Amino acid sequence: MADLKHRILMVSDFFYPNFGGVENHIYYLSQCLLKLGHKVVVLTHAYGNRSGVRYMTGGLKVYYVPWQPFLMQNTLPTFYGTFPIIRTILLREKVSLVHGHQAFSTLCHEALMHARTMGYKVVFTDHSLYGFADVGSIHMNKVLQFTLADVTRAICVSHTSKENTVLRSGLPPGKVFVIPNAVDTAMFKPAPERLGHNEIVIVVISRLVYRKGADLLVEVIPEVCRLYPNVRFIVGGDGPKRVRLEEMREKHSLQDRVEMLGAVPHASVRSVLISGHIFLNSSLTEAFCIAILEAASCGLLTVSTRVGGVPEVLPDDMIVLAEPDPHDMVRAIKNAISILPKIDPQVMHDRMKGLYNWNDVAKRTEIVYNRALKCSDQSLLERLSRYLSCGAWAGKLFCLVMIIDFLLWRLLELWQPAKDIEEVPDVVLPCDQDGEKIIQKIYNQVDH
Amino acid sequence: MDTNISGDSSPTRPKWRKVAYGGMQPGFDDNHTDETFLEDMVMNANVVKRNILKVMQDSVSISQYLCIVSLVVLVWTYTLRSTLNENSLLLLDISLLGSGFLILLLTEEMLSLNLLLHYVLNVSFFTTGLYVLAPIYQTLTRSISSDSIWAVTVSLLLLHLFLHDYSGSTIRAPGALKNPNLTSCISLNASIVASVFIASRLPSRLHVFAIMLFSLQVFLFAPLVTYCIKKYSFRLHLLFSFGLMAVTLAFVYSLHCLLFVLLVGMLVFVNVVCPYWLIRIQEYKFEINGPWDEAKLCFDITD
Repeated sequence: MADLKHRILMVSDFFYPNFGGVENHIYYLSQCLLKLGHKVVVLTHAYGNRSGVRYMTGGLKVYYVPWQPFLMQNTLPTFYGTFPIIRTILLREKVSLVHGHQAFSTLCHEALMHARTMGYKVVFTDHSLYGFADVGSIHMNKVLQFTLADVTRAICVSHTSKENTVLRSGLPPGKVFVIPNAVDTAMFKPAPERLGHNEIVIVVISRLVYRKGADLLVEVIPEVCRLYPNVRFIVGGDGPKRVRLEEMREKHSLQDRVEMLGAVPHASVRSVLISGHIFLNSSLTEAFCIAILEAASCGLLTVSTRVGGVPEVLPDDMIVLAEPDPHDMVRAIKNAISILPKIDPQVMHDRMKGLYNWNDVAKRTEIVYNRALKCSDQSLLERLSRYLSCGAWAGKLFCLVMIIDFLLWRLLELWQPAKDIEEVPDVVLPCDQDGEKIIQKIYNQVDH
Repeated sequence: MDTNISGDSSPTRPKWRKVAYGGMQPGFDDNHTDETFLEDMVMNANVVKRNILKVMQDSVSISQYLCIVSLVVLVWTYTLRSTLNENSLLLLDISLLGSGFLILLLTEEMLSLNLLLHYVLNVSFFTTGLYVLAPIYQTLTRSISSDSIWAVTVSLLLLHLFLHDYSGSTIRAPGALKNPNLTSCISLNASIVASVFIASRLPSRLHVFAIMLFSLQVFLFAPLVTYCIKKYSFRLHLLFSFGLMAVTLAFVYSLHCLLFVLLVGMLVFVNVVCPYWLIRIQEYKFEINGPWDEAKLCFDITD
């Protein structure tokens, strides 16, 4: 264990108890980094009355900053409001590297900006794809350009996402790493005994919104039901488009063949997945689809739209791809049903174990951290020149924002010098499972 | 388990593949940028090549409407100066109404007595209502100084011109599919408020009625009439527009020389400079499409 141990601060607006791909990613990555001997602290905003410091499994420390979200779990962008508390946390935890997640998270952008002002190395992970056409994406791309102008290293979850991020932010492609998500294969095991093939069950689990292609489902489901009398659908998830699906079910009298479960809590996703043979994903855009991994890990054959990073996610013999068009999707489902007898869920699961592993993700992320820390320090002037090149107007604006941030930092240094901030003692965790539990108990006692 | 696929292509070094599974690819870093990087990117795929002549022809609609509004302002000015009396105004109203109906009837394909009756009934209701309300309009802004009225009217007219829907008409023919959008409604309302303000400065009740009827006729129905002409024959539309421009310029010249220069400049700007400008900045168009774009659905969603 001669190599460098990092002290990492993960920042994102999205963390437990909220649920989704980003939350999952941060949690598993943190757990595996802890196992590798690094220190990991998570920073997010307060969820309801959950504010302050909490500990999770393995001694993962989470700061719920008392800063209420205002829209879609995002904090209000204040630019400088979060600086004092972020600075205190950075100093208290003796952080060596800040890792921000998700381009939508304002907290992440602010934390990265302040961390850069204070001279920390920062890494940013982009979890989503964005177009270039509408006003919303133009604005988002400008914000991303601002954050990424000065980021030390960036990580994307798929090669398509890397292309997108490089185009949006103008980063040199060599600075952008591709590290996919993974799946906890121990949590998603196939059904103990193989399902019969008399009746074929197609499972859909997604939020029923436009971007997830709920409208495609409305076209595809009746057609497949017409072609195959032995096919049944299970649709898990809720959203504004649920009404349309229910209308479709009424219109084609498919009440006994299309089961609508409503929102499925993540803990029971597996039990829904293992009741089916085929997993259907109809997303219209996707950087990387964790749902496909979960389904494949449960031994389901996946049928998906060929969008974004989806074609990179699984080998060709584990997934049937289709264009986002009802006819082509019906063709793909036909194709999937015909190759279904050759699929053995247990074999599929064992293959997934080899293909995706959170420990592998953590090791690859560790390499990125090492690279980031090897980068030379830069003075304020060098960094300002990089901001200036971001655009005629935006460049000057970005520079102004950074100069004010720098002044604010000096002011904070005067008001509350760094040496007056108490440092948190480190607790060295033994690596075995039992030890973790004991330490966690100690932590909990300290916490209360 | 998937490494055997790439083994035979080059014995020393396996080929890099654009896949996310299977961990780090042997021999390649995670920040490896292949030569296939961005090969799926498409630039300027949906850009429409514009023709300067076509753009200029299309911009005629805008200058035509500019002229219509200028004519309305001219009538307002002459009425306020008492050059036009209430009888000639009423005559103008009736002739406008008649010619409007005539154009609608001639250009509309489905000519029916029912529709005509419907129109006549509506217009008579409208006129009666306006006549009853005229005394209110006359005294509506008595406590406000005339300067403020001129200033507000000018700004409302500018707002009207700025937000006007030049591609169609806010007042639709019965049975039209699309509803007018918010901006064109704001524009229409701005013009009506401007006419009320002008009417409130007039000396007699009949004056107010006549000028209100005139303004409302023009603002509500002129876009519909010109739209019908344009749909009927583009050549006629151009002819009508140029005729209108000539008449307007002649009238404005007799009113004030500076205003004439201003209007000519405006028309040249709209008809010549703007289209040229649009064509010039086309070459800076930079549209990027690629696999990261949200897929478009190829069917209509009916909610």
